[in-house]
This record gives sequence, C-alpha cells and structure tokens, in this order.
Amino acid sequence: MKRFAATLLALLLFSTPALAKPKVGDILPDMEIKAAPLPQESAYLGLPAGIKSFRLSQVKAEVLLVEIFSMYCPRCQAAAKDVNELFESLTALPQGQKLKMLGLGAGNSAFEVNAFRKQYQIPVPLFQDGDYALHKAFGNVYTPTYMVLKPVPGKGFQVIFFKEGPFGDGHEFLEQVLRVSGVQ
Amino acid sequence: MKKFSTLVLAAALIWVAPILVSVLAPAPAFAIDLKDMIYDPGQLKPVDSTLKVRPGQMAPDFALPSTTGAVVRLSDYRGKMNVVLSFVPAAFTPVCSDQWPGYKLTREMFEERDAMILGITVDNVPSLYAWVVEMHGLWFPVLSDFQPRGAVAKKYGLLRTSGTTERAIVIIDKKGVIRFAKAFDINRRPDLGVIMGELDKLQ
Repeated sequence: MKRFAATLLALLLFSTPALAKPKVGDILPDMEIKAAPLPQESAYLGLPAGIKSFRLSQVKAEVLLVEIFSMYCPRCQAAAKDVNELFESLTALPQGQKLKMLGLGAGNSAFEVNAFRKQYQIPVPLFQDGDYALHKAFGNVYTPTYMVLKPVPGKGFQVIFFKEGPFGDGHEFLEQVLRVSGVQ
Repeated sequence: MKKFSTLVLAAALIWVAPILVSVLAPAPAFAIDLKDMIYDPGQLKPVDSTLKVRPGQMAPDFALPSTTGAVVRLSDYRGKMNVVLSFVPAAFTPVCSDQWPGYKLTREMFEERDAMILGITVDNVPSLYAWVVEMHGLWFPVLSDFQPRGAVAKKYGLLRTSGTTERAIVIIDKKGVIRFAKAFDINRRPDLGVIMGELDKLQ
C-alpha cells in the first residue's frame, strides 16, 4: 500500500510536463499552427503558397527561434522594436537562411495579431493562437518568451535555448542564439 | 546622572536601530514588474450575472469618480462620441492587466471610430490609480464603481455574486442608445475584432 501511495505521488509530481515551463533539453511536440501565413511569410518560411495551416516541422530551417507574445502584453509592445531589429540583423546574415523566426500570439485572434503587426510594422511571421492551445503546449510561459527549437526527427523539437522576458541587448542576444544553435 | 545617560543612549539606540537596519540590510526583493504583482484567482465561472440592459434602449446614466480625481458622467458624451464601457473584474488580476494595455496600443482604432472607452471596476480610486500607473498610464478614463459598491454594474446587470463586475463590453452610440451589450467569459479577453466590428456598425 505504501509503495502504491509513493508511486501515485511520484506520478502526480512528475507526470504533468505539458503544464511545466520548458527547459533546455526538453522535447516538445511538432505543433500545428492553425493559421494561414501571408505570402511573404510563406516565402520566408519555405511553406507552400496558399497553405491554410502548417506544422513547425514544415518550416524550411535547421533551427527555429520562436517568440511567444501577446498584442495585449505591455512588455511585448515595448520589445517590438527590438524584435524587429533582431529579425533584420538575423536575416542579413547567412545563418538567417538556416535559423528562422516566427511569433505565436497567445490568446490573440487573427484581428489582434494583425493589429500588433500593423502597429509596429513587424516583418517577423506572426500567427494567432486564439484558444491558447500552443501557449499551453509551450508550458503557459509568460510573454514574451523566446525559445530556440531544434528538430528531432520522429519526436518533435528539442528546446536548446529558453528565455522568459525581454532579451535586452539585441546583438548580444543574437550572438547567444547563434552560438547555441550551432548554425554556420 | 550616569543612569540617566545610559537610559538616553539606550533610547537613542532603539530609535536609530531600525533606520540603521533599513540602510545597511540588503534591499528586499520588491516586485519590479506588473506580472509579479498580479493575484491570480484561477479559473472562474465564465458569467455570473444576468444582463439588465439590451440593445435599443437608452443607456442608464451614471457619474463615477475617475483616477484623475474628476467625476465622469456617461451623458457628457451624448452627441459627441460613441462610448465603449469596458467593465473588468478587478485591478491587479491576470486578464484585466493586459486587456486595457491592449486598448492603449490600439487607441487609433477607437479614435478612428469616434469612440471613447470608459474603463470600470469596483475597486476604489487609490487602488485603480496604482494599477493605472503600473500599466504606464492609459488614454481613457478609469472609473471606480466602489461606493455604493458596484451600483452601476448592478444597474446594467453586470455585478457578479462575488461582488466584482463581469468582463463586459457595452457599446453606446452618440444618441446614448445601447447598440451592443455582452458579458464575456471572465477568464478570457473579449476579441478586439468583435468590438471593432460592433463599432463599425455605428458608422
């Protein structure tokens, strides 16, 4: 009986990875983004034109830098300019072909994501996550959160970098992301 | 005399000690971000009241104190602007603390539609003031429906049994007529697209 109780307790303590915040080394599922990319977003991400939804594994990249944001989050609003600069710096580098960026709007509708994109003229592909399904799968992290994900064939994506909150110095952050990504 | 001096010294030490401690001790870990100051009540019953107003009727008038110290009267906007009453449950709670900053970002959208937001909660003015400061200010009036508690929310049928208001949107046109009224799921932000869509109908 004691052993049963101990096993039950251990199960309760360790069996809820979906709600725990991800950490480096964790494997996350290959999530489906239920949103249609804009033509320029499809071109950047290497997705077929006119696609209505896609899985992260369909993005033509060796590594992904994913931002979890919300149009409503003041820190995301404050960080928007820095994120734009980060994207411009990344895409100007040869490594920008291998490390691609995208943003997921936690609890944001398509209208809200568009409002955020328009307000800050954001070139990063942004997608709505109106029902928080992706946000939940990413461990209900605070916004903004930045994660570098590396595909693990047949399993999903391994978290190789995790940063909750604004990243501060963009150049330093980019260097850090490139270093952990290992893209040349 | 010596005893008196010792007493004075002891009293002085007792008086100075807290100051010395506060100066020399490491600073306490004060919250540095709004997210650290948020009280999370968890998942709540989505809607816990019955609307008493409906589209087509005149909006019940009210006058409430705002965080600027001024009293804001709904009827002051009649003939001038459309009004969006944004009732939110409470200051320093998770969903509310990003709903209004979102409206800050989209101010232009409201202005293009000739609309003024009136934010309303049942918190008192000092609490609301601190909250607005933490949100780095808002462009629309934030009103306190504190005394008598929740009276305006009650008039609109938006007072929950817990004593807080619903997360509700009431849209009132320039004639003072209600054109949209809905208590949304308290656990979620109302979709901005729905609000803009309803305001577009007034144009």
